Amino acid sequence: MLRTYRNQPQLAGDNQEKEGPMRGTSFWKKALVTSMVGSFALAGTAQASEAVKLGMSLAITGPTSDAGVPYSKGAEDYAKYVNDTQLLGATKIALDIRDDEYKNDVTKRLFEEFLDQGIVLYLGYSTGAILALKKDFEEVKIPVIPASFHAGNLVDSKYIFLPITSYSGQVIGLAEYVAKNHKGGKAKAAMFIHPSAFGRGPVEDAQKSVAAGLNVEIVEVVEHGKDLDNTAMIKRLMEKGVQYVITHTVQSPVATLLKAAEGLGVVAKSFGEAGKLTFLGAHYTGGNDLIALAGSSAEGFLWTTSYTLTSEASKGTDLQFEIAKKYGRDEKTMNSHNYTNGMMVVQVAVEAIRRAQAAGKKITRASLFEELNGMNGANAYSPMTTVAPVTYGAGDREGVDALQLYRAQGGKFVREGAAFTPAYYKKPN
Amino acid sequence: MATNRWLATGNFFTAYKEEQRIFLTHLDRTFFVAFVAILYAWPLFLNADNKTMLVIDNILVAMVAILGLNLVTGFAGLISIGHAAFVGVGAYTAALLASSLGGSHPFMTHWWPAVIVVCGLMGACFGAVVGLPALRLKHLYLAIATLSFQMIFEWTIQVMDLFNQGQTMPLERVYWFTGEVGRKHHYLFWYFVSLTVVLVLGFGVRNLLRTRYGRCLVAVRDNDRAADAMGMHPGLTKVYAFALAGFFAGVAGALHAYLYRGVGFDSFTLHHSIIYLAMAIVGGLGTLSGSFWGPAAIVLLELQVEHLSEWLKNAAWFPAAGNLSTALKPLVFGFVIVLFLMFEPRGIANWWRITRSYLKLWPFRY
Repeated sequence: MLRTYRNQPQLAGDNQEKEGPMRGTSFWKKALVTSMVGSFALAGTAQASEAVKLGMSLAITGPTSDAGVPYSKGAEDYAKYVNDTQLLGATKIALDIRDDEYKNDVTKRLFEEFLDQGIVLYLGYSTGAILALKKDFEEVKIPVIPASFHAGNLVDSKYIFLPITSYSGQVIGLAEYVAKNHKGGKAKAAMFIHPSAFGRGPVEDAQKSVAAGLNVEIVEVVEHGKDLDNTAMIKRLMEKGVQYVITHTVQSPVATLLKAAEGLGVVAKSFGEAGKLTFLGAHYTGGNDLIALAGSSAEGFLWTTSYTLTSEASKGTDLQFEIAKKYGRDEKTMNSHNYTNGMMVVQVAVEAIRRAQAAGKKITRASLFEELNGMNGANAYSPMTTVAPVTYGAGDREGVDALQLYRAQGGKFVREGAAFTPAYYKKPN
Repeated sequence: MATNRWLATGNFFTAYKEEQRIFLTHLDRTFFVAFVAILYAWPLFLNADNKTMLVIDNILVAMVAILGLNLVTGFAGLISIGHAAFVGVGAYTAALLASSLGGSHPFMTHWWPAVIVVCGLMGACFGAVVGLPALRLKHLYLAIATLSFQMIFEWTIQVMDLFNQGQTMPLERVYWFTGEVGRKHHYLFWYFVSLTVVLVLGFGVRNLLRTRYGRCLVAVRDNDRAADAMGMHPGLTKVYAFALAGFFAGVAGALHAYLYRGVGFDSFTLHHSIIYLAMAIVGGLGTLSGSFWGPAAIVLLELQVEHLSEWLKNAAWFPAAGNLSTALKPLVFGFVIVLFLMFEPRGIANWWRITRSYLKLWPFRY
């Protein structure tokens, strides 16, 4: 049973005053009897459906809601799909999706509300909120699958399961690609990051990889503000000999950066073109929204994620289209990689529930935690919406280890080479 | 003086001292004591869930902050748009103590009342320093000066490693006589603590306003030149108003830090400063009871708007792409504040005053 309606309007008794006190009394008697019968009926339904409660809070409004909205639709649709197609047999899932407005305080309140409701798994969102609630997750021993791929989420925590490779892994993977394909001496790169825990997370890991022998020099780390023009910054980077800009932020600052570079005529036509800049980015920098925002300046942008894209035919894409069409989503939503992302986290949660059921276990936080940790080796889970299977274990809480590089070409992202695993990246224990 | 101290009606004062009483009648005092007893007792009988307790705790913490804001803006007439930054100073003082001493250091976990006082004192220090421009600035110019403090605070927290660049700095669980306050009783415990702080500081403000120092605030607000001519020191009064507001804000920050068991930058932004101002205006600027009504009204309004947005979002007849709540919250807040400024500039506190007057005379009309 998917909870979609909250605070149902109270319509009963609207006409009581018009009908006089006696008829009003009769009405209330009827209403009381009806509500009692209804309550019993609903109680019976709830028992029969065995709804497993899941909670999801994310930014449906406010900052990053451009990613949060399709993410929530993906999660909502897959939950409906599970119930409608009886993927879990008689068991239904009740996914409560709430808007945290990208605020930690609101997220905390929603999380407490979810716990009061008795959820068995929590689907979180922002890096800040996940870090803020980390201790709570440990205390209540609840498995958490966030939309944040921050490697720091995993430090001193064993209940947080990243869906795919961390931001650190993504950035290091991009740097490895640069090192491997750069012609000449050591490649000079700059990092262009979001001014937050989310953006800063991979910087230290990237620098460690460089120290460990990755043949890239990180010349400068730029934390972008709310600039509407990056001309001066681009010129400064070029004066320092930078050829590659690895971005790790959200789409709009990247679009601003790309437009400024196009205005200066310094966007590389091919990878590593001398005297020009080649732009690369991690998961939340790319996708169709970037192309919509940056237009022609996005051409050649190299983007990495672990998800399949609807611009490339695959079984996962077919499933995504089927579900999105079934629930009447528009073209933009159904082609969003964040829709895929939202779908995938519910897929993983549902798979854990299915395995616990199959093993004859009661669906609890503990049993789901156990099942998630058992997703490895022959038991790895392939949701089809990712480029490699989801694997978790005692020392591994990053789901999909492989990354796929995509290149913006002709107004869409196309696959660039085969999926790969960053060699210099060390997962946090 | 009224002969019947239980049911005195009208103004029967024969001395200023009588007018300055905290409770005008024994009945007032009795009702107040009963009300406080209910406030302390209800959680023991009604099993409120954690979410409800967290919301109530938030209201209480905001009350502490608004008591301070009301002192500086309501009573002293000095507009402050950086109050959330003062709350942040208190919260980050607690976080820095935890990171430097160690989160499980007994000072943080056992001597937490002292930590709360230290945070308040740090807030007072910052308040006094930020209040210095008030010696030369007034009205909008002072507002900009306090706004700049808010900006400096936000920038400093986000940039400096000392403050974990705005990421959450954790605090450990505290101890009470019964041992560690675990998750089960966490929100209930901080309800009792926050309620006690609100009562103590509320009485503090009430008593302050009966003293010459409290009357100085009002006198300087109404006419600082006249106050100067009467022998008061307007400059010193303004600075100490800011210091007092900073103290209250610092205490609120420490309570917030312990309640959330961590301090993150995004709880002390300009947005929060504006919300605090809204609380003070809606509650009633320059009134003690307004400091209690405002936070309760705004927090509950926010929750109801959130519920309305959720309902609209899921309503079949509403376009799914509407994302109404993005606009709904600012719209409702703005609308409520404008309505209060237009039709009830004295805030909810005035409704409370009218209700009390009515009950005092009831069943007679005048």
